[in-house]
Amino acid sequence: MRTLKIASRNVFRNWHRTLVTTAAMGFAGFIMILFASLMEGLLQGSERNAVSMDLGDIQIHAPDYREDPDLYKVISDPDRILADLKKAGFHAAKRLYGFGLAASGATSAGVQLRGIDLSNESDVTQINRHVLKGKWLEESDPSGVVIGRKLARTLGVDIGDELIFVGQATDGSMANDIYTVKGILKSVGEEVDRAGLYMQDSAFRELMVLPEGAHEIAVMRPDRSTDLIAATSKVADIAPGCETLNWRELMPVIARILDLADSQMIIMVIITYTAVAMLVLNAMLMTVFERIRELGIMKAVGVKPWQIMMLVYAETFMQVLAASIIAGVSGIALSRYFEHNGIDLSSLAEGASFGGVAVDPIWRAHLTAESVAVPIVFLFIIAFLSVLYPAIKAAVIQPVRAIHHR
Amino acid sequence: MEDHAIVRLEDASKYYRQGQMEVHAVDGLSFDIHKGDFTALCGPSGSGKTTVLNLIGGLDVPTSGKVFLEGRDIGLLSRSKISAIRRDRIGFVFQAYNLIPVMTAYENAAFVLSLQGVSDRECRDRVTAILKEVGLEGLENRRPDEMSGGQQQRVAIARAIVTRPAIVLADEPTANVDSANADSLLGLMERLNRESGVTFLFSTHDQRVMDRARRIIRLHDGRIESDEVFN
Repeated sequence: MRTLKIASRNVFRNWHRTLVTTAAMGFAGFIMILFASLMEGLLQGSERNAVSMDLGDIQIHAPDYREDPDLYKVISDPDRILADLKKAGFHAAKRLYGFGLAASGATSAGVQLRGIDLSNESDVTQINRHVLKGKWLEESDPSGVVIGRKLARTLGVDIGDELIFVGQATDGSMANDIYTVKGILKSVGEEVDRAGLYMQDSAFRELMVLPEGAHEIAVMRPDRSTDLIAATSKVADIAPGCETLNWRELMPVIARILDLADSQMIIMVIITYTAVAMLVLNAMLMTVFERIRELGIMKAVGVKPWQIMMLVYAETFMQVLAASIIAGVSGIALSRYFEHNGIDLSSLAEGASFGGVAVDPIWRAHLTAESVAVPIVFLFIIAFLSVLYPAIKAAVIQPVRAIHHR
Repeated sequence: MEDHAIVRLEDASKYYRQGQMEVHAVDGLSFDIHKGDFTALCGPSGSGKTTVLNLIGGLDVPTSGKVFLEGRDIGLLSRSKISAIRRDRIGFVFQAYNLIPVMTAYENAAFVLSLQGVSDRECRDRVTAILKEVGLEGLENRRPDEMSGGQQQRVAIARAIVTRPAIVLADEPTANVDSANADSLLGLMERLNRESGVTFLFSTHDQRVMDRARRIIRLHDGRIESDEVFN
């Protein structure tokens, strides 16, 4: 209590210096909170685009399908697997894939045909809500298709335009039909953007002559905070003989980037705070040198070295606490603002992707307890480390010399 | 060693190196200070007065010889024990007051008591009484920069005696105050010595201090030139 009282008065003794030191620490903390929440937003957005727009948490395929996506390699009993998955509490949807050529007027492009189980897909992904123009597929309109935004540009089609699909059906016949573009998707990922052509699974089956089976079952955990590996193992048990992989195995690049995000954040914090550490070190060294005589007197009358160290640390603690409040309040406020409004990068990053996953043109922050706590905890750690030298210097002052210091 | 000697120096010496030269600040001093003494160490600048006080106060260690405080050889004690002795058994009054600038008169006087862990209530009673005794009643809440030199030195005296130390070491206590204040401070310390039995050891070359001292030890080049006791 006595130490805190003296420390608080010392802090206000040279208030200009205290203000500069505290403001610098507060500003650095604020920048790091904002950076952390923006990074969190970017990474969460990427994960969301990867998982919630396309992959799902876990996917089931016929063995070798991923290496060689052959129209004939299907999961033979998808309805049984789907029923068991639902019984186990998972959301799941069947998917069908085919390849062919889409043409409109004189333009054509290779496409990946996606047959969608409309009744279940919306439980697994949010692709139905990711439409840029027009609307998502409807049961009542089997000839309606939804396509990727780059494919629409390549083919020069818009809502209501017709396109022709040509491919090879499972029976060796030519699969071809005319479809109407009902919707154009927002950016999802390179593959979907350039070649994605979504249609109802019934229309797919009819076109490709594939009455049974499914190429993929996409699965979503009911609670995304539960353990992914355990869930994958559970799903694998339900679909024996199939290949079951979670999204981290399906998109290892994105998973690795997300894993490294925390380390990147800590490296950024350390780089930014090194400058702050220099400032704190300098300020506290000046404080100690200015008060050598006073500290000498304190030691002469019986204050122990560790109590002197405590005093220096208490003064630092108060300044870092004030800086943390400044950083916390301003960082949280601005992060919240960017959480709701985002930063519009559409002129710079429209259609940009990394690791094959689309980057949202509106960059939104995502504020978490961690994005506030990590910068603040590190601010304390760095400040306390940088003040160690001045504190030791103060603690080992020889009173006999300090008292006669001029 | 006799029981009633608070301080005893036995052939105590302190040498410093100054460049290539060895300076004998204190050279083989031996003397005792007894309870209730009001002693002045006199001598010109560089005679070793302050060094002697530093040795007795445990602020410095002798190069050779021994310094006993209440029978304990200070040279054999750990830093922590010396620190505790300074806190509990020695009162310091410095030439330049040396109060803690961010504390009020009351807080400065109470500082060492709080280090000792004395209860708030006892601390309040003792500090209030001491400040009244040194004539600072009503100035308790003033900070050093709001007080005159004389008042600041009174706070330093209050801080030194409030812990009821075995000895108060006063290094040139009148050097930075005017004549009137010097007389007043000396009168105060003399009264504390006479009425409360506080033992004082001064280092000084102020004639007014020497006039009031009951024993004068004169130093020259770190050695005792004379040791006179007056009644």
